Amino acid sequence: MTKVMMYTLSTCPWCKKTKQWFNDRNIPFDFVDYDKAEKDEQKVIQDRVRKENLTLSFPIVYIDDKVIQGYSPDKYDEMMSKK
Amino acid sequence: MDMEASKQALREQFEPIVTAMGFKFSPDKEIVEFLLEQEVNLHAQHGIPFCPCKGLTGDRTEDMGKVCPCIPWHRAHFDRMKRCWCGLYVHLDVDDPDKLPQIPEELG
Repeated sequence: MTKVMMYTLSTCPWCKKTKQWFNDRNIPFDFVDYDKAEKDEQKVIQDRVRKENLTLSFPIVYIDDKVIQGYSPDKYDEMMSKK
Repeated sequence: MDMEASKQALREQFEPIVTAMGFKFSPDKEIVEFLLEQEVNLHAQHGIPFCPCKGLTGDRTEDMGKVCPCIPWHRAHFDRMKRCWCGLYVHLDVDDPDKLPQIPEELG
């Protein structure tokens, strides 16, 4: 079962579109709204994102071990269809 | 707080600045209205209109690059996309912002 996890912001329209994309296809996912998270969880997210050599620009989506930054429906489609 | 007046104040404050940098508000009215609303709220919360699509760390130096309009801090990146990360601004010659994807910033 493919695991989809995403870091988002409650203020970001592209994050809303990303959640909508997976919801529309009934693909289950976990998410953390970074701006609603506790400080220590934010730190964990910062460290993980930096390890990916990415900035704290959202949305950031993990499909299994692959990471996609930015609203990218084509990439989601491509990766989900491989599964 | 009068949301519409606050959004208009941000619009008037930002427009001359971004125009001088070769950008304009996106033709996508819905996104612009939503983003300006988020920035009014972020301004009320933090005292600064931060970008609604970038996470804050509390580190002043790092977060300075997320103050709207954050174009000067990400010039090459935004020129590559012909838009800023959150899509509030696009290059002057852009008519169809839907065609402009978010491309991750290349870190040195």
